[in-house]
Amino acid sequence: MKNLNMLFISLLSALVLFIILSVFYGQNNPKELSLNEPIQIVLKSTAGQPMDFWDVVGQGIEQAAKEYGIQVEISGPRYEKEINRQINILNRIIAADPPLIILAASDYKRLVKSVEQAESRKIPIITLDSAVDSKIPVSFIATDNLEAGRRAGAEMKRLIAGRSKKEIAIVSHIRETATAIDREAGVREALEGEKIAGTWFCDVEQEKAYRITLRLLKNPEIGGIVALNEVAALGVARAIDETGSKDEMIVVGFDSAIRELSYLEEGVIKATVVQRPYNMGYLSVQTAAEYLLGRRIESFIDTGSVLITRENMFKREYQELLYPFNPQE
Amino acid sequence: MKRRFGFGTLQSRIYTIFTLMIFSSIFIMQLVSFRFTINAARNSIIENNRVLLGQLVTQIDSYIGNMEKLADAVIEDNEIQFFLENPEAAGINTLTSIESRLAAYIFARGDLAGILIAGTDGTLLKGEPDTEVNPWSVIADQPWYKEAVDAEGRTAVSTSYVQNVLKGKYSWVVSLSRSIFSAEDGRLLGVLLIDLKFNRINELCRSLVVGRRSYDFILDKDGNYVFHPMQQLVYSEIRSEPVGEILKMLEENDRETYFDGEHYFTAAASALTGWHIVNVTYRGDITTNWQWVQLSYAAIGLVLFIVVGLFTNKLASGITKPVRKLQEIMKSVESGEFHLVGKIEGTDEIRELAREYDIMVTRIRELMQENIMEQELKRKSDLKALQAQINPHFLYNTLDSIIWMGEMKQHREVVQMTSALSKLFRISISKGRELITITEEISHVQSYLTIQEMRYKDKFRYLLDIDPDIHDLIILKITLQPLVENAIYHGIKEVDHQGFIRITGRREGDDIIFEVSDNGKGMNQQQLVELIEGVTAADEKRSRLSRQGLGVRNVHERIRIYFGEGYGLSFASEEGKGTVITVRLPAKTQETIQ
Repeated sequence: MKNLNMLFISLLSALVLFIILSVFYGQNNPKELSLNEPIQIVLKSTAGQPMDFWDVVGQGIEQAAKEYGIQVEISGPRYEKEINRQINILNRIIAADPPLIILAASDYKRLVKSVEQAESRKIPIITLDSAVDSKIPVSFIATDNLEAGRRAGAEMKRLIAGRSKKEIAIVSHIRETATAIDREAGVREALEGEKIAGTWFCDVEQEKAYRITLRLLKNPEIGGIVALNEVAALGVARAIDETGSKDEMIVVGFDSAIRELSYLEEGVIKATVVQRPYNMGYLSVQTAAEYLLGRRIESFIDTGSVLITRENMFKREYQELLYPFNPQE
Repeated sequence: MKRRFGFGTLQSRIYTIFTLMIFSSIFIMQLVSFRFTINAARNSIIENNRVLLGQLVTQIDSYIGNMEKLADAVIEDNEIQFFLENPEAAGINTLTSIESRLAAYIFARGDLAGILIAGTDGTLLKGEPDTEVNPWSVIADQPWYKEAVDAEGRTAVSTSYVQNVLKGKYSWVVSLSRSIFSAEDGRLLGVLLIDLKFNRINELCRSLVVGRRSYDFILDKDGNYVFHPMQQLVYSEIRSEPVGEILKMLEENDRETYFDGEHYFTAAASALTGWHIVNVTYRGDITTNWQWVQLSYAAIGLVLFIVVGLFTNKLASGITKPVRKLQEIMKSVESGEFHLVGKIEGTDEIRELAREYDIMVTRIRELMQENIMEQELKRKSDLKALQAQINPHFLYNTLDSIIWMGEMKQHREVVQMTSALSKLFRISISKGRELITITEEISHVQSYLTIQEMRYKDKFRYLLDIDPDIHDLIILKITLQPLVENAIYHGIKEVDHQGFIRITGRREGDDIIFEVSDNGKGMNQQQLVELIEGVTAADEKRSRLSRQGLGVRNVHERIRIYFGEGYGLSFASEEGKGTVITVRLPAKTQETIQ
């Protein structure tokens, strides 16, 4: 009995030793996430050019994944318009019960069902760039598109002041996508008091935007075009460039494709509102990691936007944003 | 043996103190060595990174150095000098020849993004034919141009940026630019621009790091970023580096590492570029998998603790076991036994203690033996004293009677009484023996009665009725005489009529019963009780001792001392009728006594 007592005391002391050691050095180890399965990321498009929007989002994702020591798997349809394919991919991923899904929804409404399915299987969802019409996602990481739209609209308002042709046309990329809806609303809000000729949709096709622009050029009242994304802006700019009408038509675009930046340098496009895709990718994974660590996260994280003109496009701080560094080059 | 593990025992105290001491020493040792291990691991990682940083600086410097050699070669090219002095005179052929030479340099070195020579008069020599100059970029306003002019012949190294001097081409470069002066009159002819692919530096920076999340970044001499793997996060202020602290550290040159609580920053300066290359190592990376180190430390601690604990237990019981054995033996004193310890296993102190104890116990035993003997002696001397008490009264009374009878010339009576007295004393002394035969005792009491009868003429008569069977049995001498004395003085002497004393003796089983009865005054109930109490009560309780009782009590006590509690006297009396004293003795012969 006596020896048992002593053994008990010894064990207890050793346990105390162990606990104290753990407490002392536990703080040395920042809490780390250990997941058995990778986080699944479903993007809108995976077949773009190197260094395009989604590629840079991917770079941000990889950086954050490395930093937080978590595995990620990126998938998505080849092209942004393949909504059904994205739904299929998402459903297949949901069936495999990943720890978390980051989704850039290509349709505001049609992915809701899949998101609800994910919720029923207790898979948290974070939306990236484009939201879905649901309260389920735990966080939404995107450019504040309303704000970005306001920026573009305000610049258009500034530029068109003093011009004779006052009407403004909006060339949107797609119907029923949150980004397009918000940007248009922002533009219209900033252009309060100006005459807006209407909104045309190019269905994410450059050619269509080009043709729309050729038609708009024939309208003598229209003096400005706001193109709501890269594809629309490129189509619009090509039409302006080819017809040599850059002095008659003010173009404010979105995004920063290399060709777009050339147009900007040439003066075909007067200004473009640029998002921060790298930050978007980085912050989405960071938020996912924080969520899985059980920390508090914001329901909406604005990754910000910048208005780029010919004057500031070669400023050092914007260079990496506009000309993402390609390690393969 | 039941013992609780209380903290009062020597063993538990030794154990507790040892345990606490060992616990704290193991704990402190582990703390120190754990810290030491962590520091060693951290220092080795930081040292590794420093070495890698040194390599990085060397590689960047040698890279830039090579490019400077290239710049030297281009600038010392006579044809180029000649062309820049006078472009018209040199002609288109010279231009083509120079441009193809520049193109060959670019082709030969995969890491060049472009070579350009910009003349002060606006002429341009490009290393890449089939490219147009970007009409929107003004050469004279470019930072590399201005810096080269300001540097007056030394090489200016730019930060990293997007080169937009050629139309439709936007490449990330680090530029080396240098003014070209005329060999003849020393005037500025133009500026040479060599663009290095930034990718090369990027690769170097990304490859030469250890640790999962470690990375390098480069600051130029003003603290602007040349390279940062997360430049976009830095510019959008999602991430920031303690640039001020790092520059201060480099400037003061007093520390090698700056620690911001989460990251270790180690910096090195590149001499050729003026850049500061900074390595960032995460504290968390250094201590990855430390829980296993921790666990093994704890396990080692546990094992050590148990081993030392058991050893201590053994040690403690080794010390306390002999002590406890000693203690148990000593405890026997409580119950009145004095055991010796004898041989005992233990330390010198314990053995010494045991030896001393044994000496003490032996001494106590001797003292006790002595005490018992002394008691015995005392008892015997008491007895003698008691016997002696009888003699003086009676002796001088009798002697008085003899004197008186002598004076009355009653010679016969004198002889009779003297011989009776002589017989009385002879038996009383009886050579110092305590025990005599009943015959002798009867003879003794008869002598006494003879004397008394002569003294108290016709005052009483007596009868001796002793069973002859008991004549040879033994009796404590002077047993009956005091009883007869009592009957005469306290019974018969008090009454007017002639008294009668009857003495009987017989055997009753293993006992002998004597009865001394008189028909004297007798006692009432209270007197009887007082007498009995006076005779039988223990010495200290006997407050009022009647003179009457003294002789009787002596008899009673002596009988009990010699033969035990079961024997002695008993009394019966009735007032006015007389008293009977009964003596009970064991029936023993001289042989059985021995």
